[in-house]
Amino acid sequence: MADKLPSEFDVIVIGTGLPESIIAAACSRSGQSVLHVDSRSYYGGNWAGFNFSGLLSWIKEYQEESDVGEEWAAWQELILETEEAIVLRKKDQTVQHVEVICYVRQDSDDPIEKAGAVQKNPVSVMSPGLNDPLDTVDTSCSDTSELPAPHNEPETALEVLEVEVTLEKENQHGYTSCSQSALERDIAEHVPIMEDVANAPKKHWITYSQIVKEGRKFNIDLTSKLLYSRGLLIDLLIKSNVSRYAEFKNVTRILGYQEGNVLQVPCSRADVFNSKKLTMVEKRMLMKFLTFCLDYEQHPDEYKAYEQSTFSEYLKTQKLTPNLRHFVLHSIAMTSETSSNTLDGLRETRNFLQCLGRYGNTPFLFPLYGQGEMPQCFCRMCAVFGGTYCLNHAVQCLVVDKESGKCKAIIDHFGQRISAKYFVVEDSYLSEKTCSNVTYRQISRAVLITDGSILNADSDQHISILTVPPVEPGSAAVRVIELCSSTMTCMKGTYLVHLTCMSLKKTAREDLELVVQKLFTPYAEVELENGEQEKPSLLWALYFNMRDSSGINRDSYNNLPSNMYVCSGPDCFLGNEHAVKQAKTFFQHILPNEEFCPPLPNPEDIVFDGDGVQPEVLVPKPDTAKEVTGQRNPEEHAQE
Amino acid sequence: MMAIRELKVCLLGDTGVGKSSIVCRFVQDHFDHNISPTIGASFMTKTVPCGNELHKFLIWDTAGQERFHSLAPMYYRGSAAAVIVYDITKQDSFNTLKKWVKELKEHGPENIVMAIAGNKCDLSDIREVPMKDAKEYAESIGAVVVETSAKCAINIEELFQGISRQIPPLDHHENGNNGTIRLGNQTPQTIRRCC
Repeated sequence: MADKLPSEFDVIVIGTGLPESIIAAACSRSGQSVLHVDSRSYYGGNWAGFNFSGLLSWIKEYQEESDVGEEWAAWQELILETEEAIVLRKKDQTVQHVEVICYVRQDSDDPIEKAGAVQKNPVSVMSPGLNDPLDTVDTSCSDTSELPAPHNEPETALEVLEVEVTLEKENQHGYTSCSQSALERDIAEHVPIMEDVANAPKKHWITYSQIVKEGRKFNIDLTSKLLYSRGLLIDLLIKSNVSRYAEFKNVTRILGYQEGNVLQVPCSRADVFNSKKLTMVEKRMLMKFLTFCLDYEQHPDEYKAYEQSTFSEYLKTQKLTPNLRHFVLHSIAMTSETSSNTLDGLRETRNFLQCLGRYGNTPFLFPLYGQGEMPQCFCRMCAVFGGTYCLNHAVQCLVVDKESGKCKAIIDHFGQRISAKYFVVEDSYLSEKTCSNVTYRQISRAVLITDGSILNADSDQHISILTVPPVEPGSAAVRVIELCSSTMTCMKGTYLVHLTCMSLKKTAREDLELVVQKLFTPYAEVELENGEQEKPSLLWALYFNMRDSSGINRDSYNNLPSNMYVCSGPDCFLGNEHAVKQAKTFFQHILPNEEFCPPLPNPEDIVFDGDGVQPEVLVPKPDTAKEVTGQRNPEEHAQE
Repeated sequence: MMAIRELKVCLLGDTGVGKSSIVCRFVQDHFDHNISPTIGASFMTKTVPCGNELHKFLIWDTAGQERFHSLAPMYYRGSAAAVIVYDITKQDSFNTLKKWVKELKEHGPENIVMAIAGNKCDLSDIREVPMKDAKEYAESIGAVVVETSAKCAINIEELFQGISRQIPPLDHHENGNNGTIRLGNQTPQTIRRCC
């Protein structure tokens, strides 16, 4: 690295997830000098999004068990006697049970385009063993010598504690290409260019090599969330003008799942009245109820008696048919049968209704190119105001002054000591020693690439959210977000489907596979005899568990210095409220008298004065930023 | 009235080759010896006529994120063109050009117009990079190439004219990204993406 980092900042932020990035932006905007580092090679931590090859690399990273050698001597000498070190974790431990299943052919470069040609099914149709994932043929990807055993003779179950790639296929070549070479970029360059799948009149079989070839069209988020159109993140994006860095799409459909069918849920007034599924009476009942929810606090007598009951119980007392109750509970309030009480349910329903109509007929927006753009947008704002960015930059430890108990510096992987006044660290960087008393929840995630929508409609470019109620006792409600190609997250002719639920069973696959089976069928290159296939096909699937570090009390961490703040990773909820709240809270601790993310200057408002020394900015505090550069980069002079 | 087309242009190149100076010269026709990293300006705009259209360039600066090789992929999103800058007096800055092109191919849009600018051509007496090398390389990747001087206002307009000419005509058929939303303080508006 040609440049050396300055040795002093106001704020050092470790981790580039959403809350950290917002804090970095807010601090930088308020004139603080910010160093923002991430030990990973990409932005976003567990909030990141990847193209297909990037995702394969991410998967591989969690496969490798490489021990990072401890370099004690290198930095211990830099710690004075009056100081002690908080050592940071070397390897991320927040993701586990990673499993990949490829349902499409991996053996051949040339796609099969013969409509109606009966192909041998390359993927064994979901074997009975799928209900019990440990019974399927789990083969570590690095072992390429043996073909997987036939499916009717399940191998001894491997513990799926570590990352595994499950391949249910028979071809050795394809197998190899998945395990290693597919990760190499140049493979993609040698695959013949495919016709545009979406424009083809007849069925084109999609192959693995095509997905790899078109891999740049994918932007696959590790965390699947939406933005409530009146939520905190939208407000912050608009207020700070960070919104100019991103573009959004409306979520177009709210779906419900009832008796094995996916249905569209009417939620706006227009939807309700246009719905063909509802009777006239039902329409009136629903409108009446929804109107009440909008200002339920004005009518406490309507729900007072049910404050202690569940929302589901409360709904039964309202004049709603079972159909409507189901939709209100699962698709609008998006709460569960048992867990939430009446007040929560009413609040969630009102929140949903209030967000309707601001940008469209549903309450949600989705960022073009994925949720992973959000942290990057705030990082850019931080950089624009002089923040310094270093990816691939590991931090060995934080240095704490014994006497004051305050953190005073970090020591990075080059052994450079960099001091600061405040330290913001994402939870995953903390070592076991710091977190020994913390109990984490887990999130179960699945990412699917499919060939059709879960609910066919006039347009193939819908963005849909579906909540599937618990499919059996002891399982969780599953949130399904289906993205079409115009969100710039998947290639044409495919859909990217994110499943998220609170983890209740051992692995993500156990939590989610039943729902996947209900909504999709494994990809098969055969024309079904009786016409249209009912369910869309699964081309590729990834399951993993992610640690949920939200809602952890500061006191649960051992010996946190008072000027160190711990940000959580993504939570299980649909919105981004927690991240924004946390960022704001920490910012207000650090700079109690400063405004949180005031607007960015509009580029057209930047006026160059006659002497042209520096752009003058027609917004609050134009000078702060100027001063800060001056003191921060004294060594950086003119361009020549 | 001519149609205005917004074109995002991103700047690439090592720290200190003159990326910001080029934009500053282009947008403001101004050069500052002591320019410090642009603070508070996330992008600058300038509108120029091109055939029957007006091209409104939204020029994004790296905001210093290139200094430690930490440019975010969102920087490249939706760019119609990229200007990759090197310093003709620094062979190193030309050597790293390939790295920037590679990164662009990895993260940038597929049909992005590439323009290479060999800046500081007013200092040709201490030149390290022959024009021939740059021309050959640009040809090999199908990029526009020009030597510029932001200081002396040489070829800056030409650089952007070259980009304008390479921008494919608006294809109404391909313009299928309707319904994209930009958030703002005003009433939300639905815009049509231009590229």
